[in-house]
Amino acid sequence: MTFHRREVLGTFGVGSASTLLWALGCGGSAAQVRRAPQVSGEVRTWLHDAVARLATTYPTVHALAVSRRRTTAALDVLGAGVAHLRTDSVVLRVRGRDGTWREHLTSELTGSGVDAAATALDAPRRRDPVDFGRAPATPAEPPELDDRELRHRVERLLESDASLSSRIVYAASLIDVDDAVVWSVAPGRDLEQRLVRIRQAATRAAWNGTRPVVRDVERAWSGWLDDRPLTPGDLATASQAALELMTPGNFADGDHPLVLDPSVVATLLDSLAAGLLTSAAARRPEVARRIAVGGAIASPAFTVIDDPGAPQAYGGFAFDDEGELAAPLTLLDAGRVTTLLSDHIGGGAGRGRRPGHRARLEPSPSHLRLVPGTAATTELYADGFALEGGLAATFDPASDRVCVACARARELKAGNPTGRVYADVELVGSLTTLLSAVDAVAREPAGFTVRGPSDRDPLWRSISTPAVRTRGLVRARRSAT
Amino acid sequence: MISQRDLADRLARRDPGAWSVVERVQDLAIADELRALHRRDHRTRLAITVHQDVPRGRGSARLDIDPFDGSAEDLVDHAISLALTAVGPAWSSTPPAAPAKVDVVDADLVKRELDAVALGTLAGLRRPSDLDITATAEVLREKITVIASSGFHTSWSATALRAHVRLATGNHSLALCRDARRADDLGLDLAVTDAAADLVHLAAAGPPPTGPCALWLGPEALLHRDPHRDDDLAAGGGAGAGLDHGIWAIFAHHADATVERQGLTRYRLRSEIAPGAAQIAEPLSITSDGALDFATRSAPVTDDAVAVRRFPLIDRGIAVGLGLSPREAALRHTDPNGGVRNLVIAPGSWPPGPSTTTRTIEVRRLYALSIDPDTGDASLDIALGLEHRPGRASPIPFTGGTVRLDLIGSLARARRSHQLLRRGAYHGPASVLIDRAELLP
Repeated sequence: MTFHRREVLGTFGVGSASTLLWALGCGGSAAQVRRAPQVSGEVRTWLHDAVARLATTYPTVHALAVSRRRTTAALDVLGAGVAHLRTDSVVLRVRGRDGTWREHLTSELTGSGVDAAATALDAPRRRDPVDFGRAPATPAEPPELDDRELRHRVERLLESDASLSSRIVYAASLIDVDDAVVWSVAPGRDLEQRLVRIRQAATRAAWNGTRPVVRDVERAWSGWLDDRPLTPGDLATASQAALELMTPGNFADGDHPLVLDPSVVATLLDSLAAGLLTSAAARRPEVARRIAVGGAIASPAFTVIDDPGAPQAYGGFAFDDEGELAAPLTLLDAGRVTTLLSDHIGGGAGRGRRPGHRARLEPSPSHLRLVPGTAATTELYADGFALEGGLAATFDPASDRVCVACARARELKAGNPTGRVYADVELVGSLTTLLSAVDAVAREPAGFTVRGPSDRDPLWRSISTPAVRTRGLVRARRSAT
Repeated sequence: MISQRDLADRLARRDPGAWSVVERVQDLAIADELRALHRRDHRTRLAITVHQDVPRGRGSARLDIDPFDGSAEDLVDHAISLALTAVGPAWSSTPPAAPAKVDVVDADLVKRELDAVALGTLAGLRRPSDLDITATAEVLREKITVIASSGFHTSWSATALRAHVRLATGNHSLALCRDARRADDLGLDLAVTDAAADLVHLAAAGPPPTGPCALWLGPEALLHRDPHRDDDLAAGGGAGAGLDHGIWAIFAHHADATVERQGLTRYRLRSEIAPGAAQIAEPLSITSDGALDFATRSAPVTDDAVAVRRFPLIDRGIAVGLGLSPREAALRHTDPNGGVRNLVIAPGSWPPGPSTTTRTIEVRRLYALSIDPDTGDASLDIALGLEHRPGRASPIPFTGGTVRLDLIGSLARARRSHQLLRRGAYHGPASVLIDRAELLP
């Protein structure tokens, strides 16, 4: 779902290096950027003042501020790079008595910047007394991040794969640390959270005939660097996937019983939640006609929860970008739609999220969780194919048509792999039909991340899902010319 | 607050090998009918690029920051420290060249209040009475200043507009998106008229008629972009690469000098881009032109203070040029050119229309376009197509179906229309015909 190699190259930017002279002692001292000048109390005071001024004029007022630092270290066969991004912003949002929403964003997270933003929304100098409720606890400060240490970690990530063969023509590893402090202030609500999101990723590429085969492995979580790192086993799996010998000959297109591995299910869940289960999606007439609360769109084995409070979830948070406290929302209960993800504008109360905590609000999932079943994944095997390595999905909410690109299809007979593995297949069909055909859900979940819409201002999301068994049309991903 | 001048002064004192500091002062207004929202952004962005020379080579670093109450001294020290973590082979920066002479500002947008422009864009939108239309307009005005170690100092203003429009009947909807530098170039009324006609087809559309066919890609299919992907208009001219080149993005990716150096391109410099690509009647020629007036990826200079240039990528089926950053140019002993920007594609002589001898699928709109940048394989998922058959007077509309293409080979051999389309970062044929394809279910 992500294309790490491009991120690696982007990280290098002008700084791509083809030799690792750092190891030879050419590195300078790893100076630290001074911590944010804003301290929690200061920012909250500025936001309180702005909200108090705006509340004299507008019935609905909300202030959101973010101070975010992103550090990405990447290493590939050509060299290394470390990139830094720092963004601050304040979004003041009001709703007038005529129902129109107004927002003002400034990148100046200072007392005068916040004051000017309030003035731009026609706030008077006068302040009404506003009760903001209990002051939040200041979040714990994560350990200091040293560029040199980060660099060593990413080197270790590249080197810890003992199975790197000469057939691997490209290898890269990446560590991405996204550290955001978010303040949310409105009458009756004074919130602060610190979201440190870590991603570790590795990419391996090998040539298969005349075309490269690129395989990625990734772990992402909220917490700190050592919480859930990639293991040598994960890296070896990526290398083996790039090198895996495929069964020659054409894959016979057809309708088959299928076991979808967690990465394939994750692409389906993301398409389902983002394409059908938001208030924004429901505005489309084609979607509104099909999706109704209480209606069945998946098998009774299918229960999907959006749970931003899940421990260490990459897409998790304590409160969303409208200041709504995190609480799990059951989107599908035994296959039936129970609720839609909706922001305040969509008439809901939860999951209003801003890419980068500052772009325009949109209803969006946070951490989707497919409730696991009781069987081991191998117990789902029968005849048919196991689809592995979900790469990407395209989904048309209007027609319900989904197409999931998968790295390989492993043939199964009588519950066992036959040894035949076909490269580059795709699962095609109606999303709701595919989900309705699910007759078993495995018990071992795996985690995945989804980022978008832009790299600078991502919308952090994650998915936890086990494998499922269903039935659908699988075909080779072939070129016509 | 840290200012560009503070950073430049500090860098001049530290005197690394080379450096540049770019400041973008941006003002963005958004009017969103669907959400009854008016939004205004004021942002200043700074980007520091440092090249630090050491005996064993040169290290480089880039920092993107919003100005904050910090120390320019600390920030510059940090940038240099970062550069030292990425030391590679030595290379030298080239002397500054004259910025490209290019106009990227709509004079009208400089004078007017941006909120009014955004609201005016929505108010002026043509709205057929039988359609429910909701739209969003974004208007950006920015001033960019580049200061570099070589004494280079330049500044320019730029404007950009984006509109998202959703048209719906009781049962169907279509979305469209347009980007432009000038309000007059948005062409929203024409886009709405086209989309309204397609909505009529959509209401009558059946399932996809699968099988072999000739493929006629119209302008919306050629330049498809996901209308739901809401990239940041203020991200800067270098951002969003590929988003505005549609299916031609594969050639922009393969012209990336870094990718070429890694050996991960399908074709190499000075060779045919596909077997026989140079021997056909109208071989493909593509030029990158970052100095095209009012194109969305035009700019006088890059963030590295490199003058943006026009250069050929493909000449009559042969790969002849690459987008070169200063480093890639130095390693190849040539001058940098500012990278791949707007794509200018030579037209052909094909008069758009269905084949007279075989079944033709005219792709009006896609709902998804997926391109594998390494292999050039693409999946075109069709939202609306028309099936033309020889001898049948009117085409039959359908929705759904997928066409998989080897984009490089297919576009190298495609027949290109003589009719030109200029939209965003694209200036080239409005339609192409691919002789052999297969529509999959």
